[in-house]
Amino acid sequence: MTTLGPIEIEVIRNALTAAAAEMDVTIWRTSRSTIVRELLDYSTAVFDAQGSNLAQSARIPSHLNSMTHALRTLLSDHIPPEQWEEGDVVIFNDPYCGGQHLPDILAFRAVFHEGVRIAFVGALCHHIDVGGLAAGSYAAKATEIYQEGLRIPPVKLLARGVRNEAVWAIIRQNVRKPELLLGDLSSQIASLEVGRAALLRLARRFGAAAMLEAGRRILDMSEAGMRAAIAAMPDGTYSFEDVLDDDGIALGQPVRLAVRLTIAGDTATVDLSGCSPQAAGPINATLASANAAVMFALMCCADPSLHMSAGCYRPITVIAPEGLVVNARHPAPVAHRIAVGHRLLNAMMGALHQAVPHLIPAAYYGNSYVTTFQTVADSGAREVLVEIEIGGSGAHPAKDGVNAYAAGMHNNSNIPIEMIEAQMPLTVMRYALREGSGGAGRHRGGLGLVREWRVDSPLCFFTANMDRFVHPPYGLAGGCPGATGRLLLRRNGEETPIPPKTDNLPLRAGDIVRLETSGGGGHGPPDQRDPAARARDARLGYV
Amino acid sequence: MEAEARPVRIAVDIGGTFTDLQILDARQGRVAAWKTPTTPADPSEGLLRGVREAAERFGFALSEVGLLMHGTTIATNAVLERTLARGVLLTTAGFEDVLEITRHVRRDIYGLAPDPFPCLIERDMRFGVPERMRADGSVETPLGDLGPVLARLRAAAPEAVAIGLLHAYANPAHERALRAAVEAALPGVPVCLSSDISPEIREYERLSTTVLNALLMPVVRRYLERLEARLGEGGFAPRIFLVQSNGGMCSLRTAAEQPARLLLSGPSGGALAAERLSRRLARPNLVAVDMGGTSFDVSVVQGQRIGLVTQGEVGGLPVRLPMVEMRTIGAGGGSIAAVDAAGRLTVGPRSAGARPGPVCYGRGGVEPTVTDAHAVLGRLDPDFFLGGAMALDLAAARAAMRARIGERLGLSVEAAAEGVLRVTNAQLAAAVRLSLFEKGLDPRDFALLSFGGAGGLHATEVAEELGMAEVIFPREPGTLSAYGILFSDLVQDIARSRLLRAEAAKAGEVAALLAALRAEGEARLAADGVPPARRAIEIAADLRYHGQAFELLVPWPEAPDLDALAARFHAAHRARFSYAAEGEPVEIVTLRASAIGRLEKPEEAAPAAPAARPRPGARRVWQGGAATEWPVWRREALRPEDAIEGPAIVEEAFATHVIARGWRAALDPEGALVARRIA
Repeated sequence: MTTLGPIEIEVIRNALTAAAAEMDVTIWRTSRSTIVRELLDYSTAVFDAQGSNLAQSARIPSHLNSMTHALRTLLSDHIPPEQWEEGDVVIFNDPYCGGQHLPDILAFRAVFHEGVRIAFVGALCHHIDVGGLAAGSYAAKATEIYQEGLRIPPVKLLARGVRNEAVWAIIRQNVRKPELLLGDLSSQIASLEVGRAALLRLARRFGAAAMLEAGRRILDMSEAGMRAAIAAMPDGTYSFEDVLDDDGIALGQPVRLAVRLTIAGDTATVDLSGCSPQAAGPINATLASANAAVMFALMCCADPSLHMSAGCYRPITVIAPEGLVVNARHPAPVAHRIAVGHRLLNAMMGALHQAVPHLIPAAYYGNSYVTTFQTVADSGAREVLVEIEIGGSGAHPAKDGVNAYAAGMHNNSNIPIEMIEAQMPLTVMRYALREGSGGAGRHRGGLGLVREWRVDSPLCFFTANMDRFVHPPYGLAGGCPGATGRLLLRRNGEETPIPPKTDNLPLRAGDIVRLETSGGGGHGPPDQRDPAARARDARLGYV
Repeated sequence: MEAEARPVRIAVDIGGTFTDLQILDARQGRVAAWKTPTTPADPSEGLLRGVREAAERFGFALSEVGLLMHGTTIATNAVLERTLARGVLLTTAGFEDVLEITRHVRRDIYGLAPDPFPCLIERDMRFGVPERMRADGSVETPLGDLGPVLARLRAAAPEAVAIGLLHAYANPAHERALRAAVEAALPGVPVCLSSDISPEIREYERLSTTVLNALLMPVVRRYLERLEARLGEGGFAPRIFLVQSNGGMCSLRTAAEQPARLLLSGPSGGALAAERLSRRLARPNLVAVDMGGTSFDVSVVQGQRIGLVTQGEVGGLPVRLPMVEMRTIGAGGGSIAAVDAAGRLTVGPRSAGARPGPVCYGRGGVEPTVTDAHAVLGRLDPDFFLGGAMALDLAAARAAMRARIGERLGLSVEAAAEGVLRVTNAQLAAAVRLSLFEKGLDPRDFALLSFGGAGGLHATEVAEELGMAEVIFPREPGTLSAYGILFSDLVQDIARSRLLRAEAAKAGEVAALLAALRAEGEARLAADGVPPARRAIEIAADLRYHGQAFELLVPWPEAPDLDALAARFHAAHRARFSYAAEGEPVEIVTLRASAIGRLEKPEEAAPAAPAARPRPGARRVWQGGAATEWPVWRREALRPEDAIEGPAIVEEAFATHVIARGWRAALDPEGALVARRIA
């Protein structure tokens, strides 16, 4: 047993964070698809020998706080720790094995030092397409997971460093853009090697026992920080609910996300029993997704110096009975699970507003505006574009929301218009702030966006999956809600609405798709808005 | 180049506090350093004063100065302090908000109260123009009626106009026509085209660069006018060049038209010095680390060349222009140490800066910093800080370290201070490792070049952590940037974006683009008065695999053969990213030319050894929980035969160096202090 002082712990903690950063750089620099490279839809992390997250790269909240759940499920139900060997890389994407949805492929590798397993390293990438009903694997009308694409159970993609060619061949045969997917998968594997090398440097310096002890202490430290944040909240039970418009199948029937948050001393219990039963359409979430939203909400309320690790989860209990939209049962479809993630975060923030009103902003736009264009040339050649757009952030008790800000459960960059047009038969006609979309209030919600695409190929299949078209992002403390979203088709000068959850809508050359995203909710009564701020809004055309 | 024939060349680096000068007199080959306080209101005043002082001190006439090479942070400061011109952006109608939408990815994942992304031109000053280009440079919508937009422009009465249209990198015709119309409507108002300053694909980054440039034009022009007005006195009429962020010099004309090229030029001088020293000291691979009060800058010299990148950032705004590759972390002498609610020791990112500064400065700082940790341990001499210009309040530093760190962690005051340094060194080592790692390089193949006020206190310990065997402390570490500037060349960067497969069928198109790039390079060098014998054009390309969204900068092979280019890309990709996909098509995104005008490099004489030689002193320094006597050497009294066994301290006027236990240091013939790990 070694005894490490606070200094050694901090040195090791820094090095673990640096390892996750090196893994992150590896993926960023080497991946092929736009979804990884330009949308930055991936995350990397370092875990202890039991699968608890010790350090993470700062990318996507919905990924980060789900990876511990995924790895622990993998170790307990599928490939127990003793079956991992040096050089093994295990991948899977199955939501019913601890994952979230099929496009997210998780890759893990165990790290051994002198025969002792000292850690795991993991990388999660959102892949451009894993087959299924719709290009991009974002089928909005799927009613069972079998329609959503290739389902990969936990398998060794590399066994003792040797490629399992059969697995590679199966993947290649089942996806729309195999060279991009396999390229991105290679980046994931390279990042695991980089993470492993970083951990071994550390192990050679401090020894295996010290590494394991440091891991325990880092988790304890995060736990203490999270407990301090919860203890600062007044004890009590705080309830809030918000809804998704529908699941894309039972149209017009809202899906309820209800949170009952109980703060007792330095612990928090989040009861999700009041949420709707799982839906027919693909908005369902598995526990990995629901947990990620709950943890993220509470972690946002902590001291900014909090070290984010699985220790933060310890004082938090989540009650989510199976069969609900937050803990779906196989074979429910889950492609758009981020919908529940976003809305659950909105509901958590609404509950937290009652406990710590000075910290909590009004609702952000609360969904990922996923659009997929599959263009088909006369020659039959196909190109796929997946874009994830965003809206405005909610107004904060002390300031306006931010226009066009990737908020909440995801964190995506846009794709440069010039890059799209240089590579595909699409023309972007407009990219602008959406005037008047921010909720009014003493502090105004941030504005949403407008984006228009024109199809230049003879044929194009369009798929969309989005929400907040009926139920707007809420305001707080007397602030008004943000605007609801709109999706329109302009053909021959006529505009018709496109349902926000649409699969494979055939488009032809000259058609224009127009997306208008939600702004954030306002905070405080609008009549208390500072006249100077009001004048500025008018001058800049924000309202 | 009559001015160049005069014997004296001066390099000036204007920093926030000091204006540093290095003077090379070709008659003796002597290089001398001088420092004078910066005059923030008009930095040209301090510059001229420094030159006059140096002339008096080192015995040359102002009329003997042929070249003045000038590094300035005036552009950077104007952006950071928002003392920019009031401008208008003209852009393709329908895309006026691209500048405000940015790339919209957030940096602080867990923050609940975000600030907006910085945006230099507000919405009511961004006007749409009816027009549209396609990616291949063909016209989708011709330039329409400009009457309404010109009327708005006149009403707005801007001090500068930025013009950035979609796909202007592929065809600048609309931007040029628009400029003609704007210049006619607003005579005398500076106009900047995106196709001139940054003709590269990706609209937001290009727009950001164009707007920065436009808003800097009036600011930098005013400065250059003031500078030129000061010339002539005492026959002082040198040719003046300015330092760009790419590490090369540019003429006053270029600086006035493309001031964005001066942004982030601050670290260029240090990187240039590292490149020069790598040749003089015969160390082809160097990691240069510059640690001051607030930041730690890392740059890499590989094979005697500094690395360049094609994009940087100032104050959160992207600048799409070639610049010296630099990793900066917020770790310096002023970084604040604290213990958080969970009992975690943190160092930085908050900094006490220069005001209030570390506790030991006695200027009102109450939170212990890295500098305080050095003072507590005896590594800094409280009576010889900044050459004795400032006395350090050791008692206050100890009290703060005890109350805010030691007692909270259950450590003695010295153990707390040592802990702060260990955590800091771990952060510095991680930054160095990441800088090398990004390129697939191994620290053990590099020597560490340490400079900046605080670098020497950490260098050998950071090198130890990285497994590096050698640390070099150059002479005059306080004016090293000016030294780098002294020996640099004129460099003009020219770029053309064109998405092309790197395959034989495109050879003709590529050859035509390259010919155009070379011709433009030659023309620009001719305009700057560079004779043909001193010109060189270096070609490189941004390449990627089809589908990748970021590119690798690859030097063009000798033979103009696309297969050779692709092979070079595969090799570079493998070296940097641990895999190559040789069956995949390779895409050219941007072709680049660096047009270099070589300036004469006069010989530099080796420094003379000092005559007097005081014996080293000694000081009690804490390490590993105990205080021992460490020898303390004066840098200027060192002679080549001196062997300094670590642990030891070497002091000079503006820097203190620690030679760690297990290291041995000696002067090399060039006057650099070289520490080696004892095997």
